[in-house]
Amino acid sequence: MLIIILRRLFQALLVLLLVALISFLIFRYVGNPVENLLGQEATVAQRAALEEALGLNDPIHEQYVQFVWRAIQFDFGNSYRGALPVADLIASRLPATLELALTSAIFAMVFGVLTGIYTAIHRGSFLTNLILSTSLIGVSLPTFLIGVLLIWFFSVELGWLPSFGRGEVVDLGWWNTGFLTASGLKSLILPSITLGLYQMTLIMRLTRAEMLEVMRQDYIKLARALGLSPRQVYFSHAIPNIMIPVITIAGLQLGSVVAFAIITETVFQWPGVGLLFINAVYFVDIPVMSAYLLLVGFVFVIINLIVDLTYLAIDPRLRDSQLKQEQ
Amino acid sequence: MSDHLLEIKNLKITVATRRNVLNLVDNLTLAVKKGEILGLVGESGAGKSMTGSAIIGLIEKPVKISGGEIWFKGKRIDQHPDEVRGHEISMIFQDPMMSLNPLWRIGDQLIEVITTHMNISHQDAIKKAKHCLVEVGIDPSRMNAYPHTFSGGMRQRVVIALALAPNPSLVIADEPTTALDVSIQAQILDLLKQICKTRGTSIILITHDMAVISQTTDRVCVMYSGRLAEIGITKEIMAHPQHPYTKGLVASTPQIDASSFEKMLYQIPGSMPALDNIPSGCAFHPRCEHAHDKCRAERPEVLSNRAACWLLDANEGQ
Repeated sequence: MLIIILRRLFQALLVLLLVALISFLIFRYVGNPVENLLGQEATVAQRAALEEALGLNDPIHEQYVQFVWRAIQFDFGNSYRGALPVADLIASRLPATLELALTSAIFAMVFGVLTGIYTAIHRGSFLTNLILSTSLIGVSLPTFLIGVLLIWFFSVELGWLPSFGRGEVVDLGWWNTGFLTASGLKSLILPSITLGLYQMTLIMRLTRAEMLEVMRQDYIKLARALGLSPRQVYFSHAIPNIMIPVITIAGLQLGSVVAFAIITETVFQWPGVGLLFINAVYFVDIPVMSAYLLLVGFVFVIINLIVDLTYLAIDPRLRDSQLKQEQ
Repeated sequence: MSDHLLEIKNLKITVATRRNVLNLVDNLTLAVKKGEILGLVGESGAGKSMTGSAIIGLIEKPVKISGGEIWFKGKRIDQHPDEVRGHEISMIFQDPMMSLNPLWRIGDQLIEVITTHMNISHQDAIKKAKHCLVEVGIDPSRMNAYPHTFSGGMRQRVVIALALAPNPSLVIADEPTTALDVSIQAQILDLLKQICKTRGTSIILITHDMAVISQTTDRVCVMYSGRLAEIGITKEIMAHPQHPYTKGLVASTPQIDASSFEKMLYQIPGSMPALDNIPSGCAFHPRCEHAHDKCRAERPEVLSNRAACWLLDANEGQ
């Protein structure tokens, strides 16, 4: 079992190195770092000195190793704009994005799975049809439009919820959180719904389809024939069997929630890494962009790792086939 | 009536389609005695499995029981089947590969069924579960094994253990051996038969295999197009089938004796009518070589005879 986990970790590491390579190539070859740093009026001597200082004259593979080594120590260089260390910039923005992503992922998971199961069990009921037709909106409307509509309705017309920003934030030193203040929590609602709505409908539809499929299986028929209560049939036999596909998709969606927070953060002027990235793109701030790429890659790899390990925890068949491969 | 464990009276199961209402089971009446094995035989679509599902109350929309009564131990159960499902009447299905929850250890599946129906402690439930496994010939040390580590025959043994764990009075076995290797089939049937005989449990054995019927059952009920064609003691029916359809079934079963090698196996001409096109009168008349006018006009029932066929009445009249 430990070997399987170690092997997965090793694979994750390889993927991360590959992401780092792409990130490095962007960092090194998109634009000219020397020109970006010194501007166009620098002398040849100044350029040569900086090139030497940045290690740009070293062989390419050594530069890559250097890049990875610095990345491990959270050193992504300085932002071209404002000359702040990129790591500090991201660290100051990351809590906002992670809190938003986490809230909307939980929203999407909880509501998606619940409504999915409900609509599968109560097929054809009025509420089911209502949920299913409403969910079409979630799938078909683009994120920014949903965000703007929500702002219009809840902020402009009703004036219930703030239309931008994080509200009051409590600084815990290494982390600043909006979870602890009323205005912080209020500010989370609209962006979380905007960000999570698409994922929620996706998870709901998947859960429903899987549930309908599983309910047709013979072991469900047998469980019912053996006189188990509907609760036992649904909760201990049907639902565990839909978890593998649902967790796969939900996990991947969580990754894209972090990655696609960009649009929501722009709509709600949410001070997270997505907004940081968009501004970096405007100003061709290469170190920020490459660090962001690395961050998103890291999040995806970690989530995939967790998803893979969850499979093994859920399904004995996969566990056994993996163990067989090891032998 | 008192020696009848289960009585089905004029059972009618229908499904409404956009155009019309189809009869899946039409006016079926039969009874199961305590401790007997009743075979339910017929072609695919004859309504055998539907009848089984109806008894245990697992008919799902849009299919519904639209007429008749089901009585079990003197109580009418077609209205509230969940009162008897599992602990009084249990069911076994065709494909053992798919009948067990792949994510659960077999021991836990047994314990779940036992604790659901019996008011005993978890410790006692474990003991009982082990006992159930021994009864079906599985080493109790495999309590913690997952279903995918068992073969098809072994899984069907586990399913039998599950179905018999709460000690039901009636087990409905819906083609329990069809998906199994021929050499395993006899083992599983013998096991089922032996456990039920010792416990006095009745079995309704649903199958399309006449060989299985003749080896296993006490009485047999032949179904055709959702209707009862013939019912009676298995040995008598196998030796002297009365309904032309039963005759066809018996004749089309391979016999292993010296003379049979030269003969071609008998085939019943044609096939069972579609549900939306059941002929008038006797449903079998288009395939029956003895059919006469009355067969086409009026539907025969099982009344004085054991078979629903006008020929028998005609013969008696002569």
